[in-house]
Amino acid sequence: MHTIDDFVRLVRDELGMPLEEHQVSVDLDQLPEWDSLYLLKLVTALEQATGRSLPVGKLLEARSLGEIHRLAAEA
Amino acid sequence: MQSPEQASSPSVAHLAGVGTALPGDPVDNAMLARTLGVNEEWIDVFIGTRTRHFARDLVSGEVRWSLADLCARAGEQALTASGLAPDEIDFVVMGTATPDHLMPATVNHVADQLGLDQIPTYQLQSGCAGAVQALELGRTLVTGGGHRAGLVIGGDVCSKHLDLDRDLSGAAPSDLVNYVLFGDGAGAAVVTSEARGERLALRGVLNRFTGLGREPGQVIDWFGLADRYDDRQAVREDYKAIEESVPVMAVEILWELLEDLDWSPEQVDFLLPPQLSGRMTRRITEQLDLPDAVEVSCVADTGNNGNALPFLQLEGLLEKIGPGQRALAVAVESSKWIKSGFALEKI
Repeated sequence: MHTIDDFVRLVRDELGMPLEEHQVSVDLDQLPEWDSLYLLKLVTALEQATGRSLPVGKLLEARSLGEIHRLAAEA
Repeated sequence: MQSPEQASSPSVAHLAGVGTALPGDPVDNAMLARTLGVNEEWIDVFIGTRTRHFARDLVSGEVRWSLADLCARAGEQALTASGLAPDEIDFVVMGTATPDHLMPATVNHVADQLGLDQIPTYQLQSGCAGAVQALELGRTLVTGGGHRAGLVIGGDVCSKHLDLDRDLSGAAPSDLVNYVLFGDGAGAAVVTSEARGERLALRGVLNRFTGLGREPGQVIDWFGLADRYDDRQAVREDYKAIEESVPVMAVEILWELLEDLDWSPEQVDFLLPPQLSGRMTRRITEQLDLPDAVEVSCVADTGNNGNALPFLQLEGLLEKIGPGQRALAVAVESSKWIKSGFALEKI
């Protein structure tokens, strides 16, 4: 789960969201398929993939999937 | 301020006493997260609810209280608080989305437990607007229905769907969220035609279906012998639609109540906002923007227990409200988009 490609694949597989790579930097409000509840699935999947626990409070403030990827990679 | 004549006008209903019942000890997020295998911080931050109560034991799965048990306990407390005798109760109205049985209606078991007999009983099948609908019917019965006093009850046992044996790793978010949003509980109020007990005049009630042509924001399914093994989700939330619509509807309800009552925002001393979750309620309260009103909320400690919520808020209100002070309550039922609310004044 190091590269953005891995991340995009994980979002597609876990959330069933048809995410295109260029959409990772788009504001979450501009993603019609995004639902704030997806973050729980994403956090669970990212924690499993990275083997680390993630700072959920910061992730909730993230405005794009790219930002979530960066925070997960830094954790 | 109303004159004494207005205050005791037969067209005004009053709340004389309130009672509530929460089952067992509070369940905190650490315990819930451990039991469900979900991230504790996510519940803390995203849902913002700290504790809730469950009628079902979280470890053994044993059902410790029925909805009727909780509602009867709340009803008994409300009666005691009101100072009325049980034989003064002319009717019972109850709202719930999670009855113990489809038949007999739970309200009749509640009446039985309270020792009430030979009176009309009504059960409203309802979600978060149910307590308001029950209040509205209670008000109608004491102002124009020839009755002097009745018991109005709301309660839900959401833990019916708390299946602890289920593997939640593959559950849809719209399914999983229900496990962390909801709790169980009951509340009750004694409604009277004259000002008695707590002397809260019910100045206005709003109860309106606004869901024409709209998909439901929440669905609770039920299963019978023929479809009990169908692979349907028992509880579904369209959380995105709820996040978008409920704050807007809450503001509309507030302003409609204010205009109907001819009250200015500055005249509202207490605000009882919709109780979805700790975090959502905080957001909605900010948008309602009544800076002079004291917020009375409970959901962060009780969980979302549906029809019980307004009564739990009323109990909190009674600790604070003084003669001449006013309170406004706003509730939204996102199932089929029902607007509701009520206005009170202590006399």
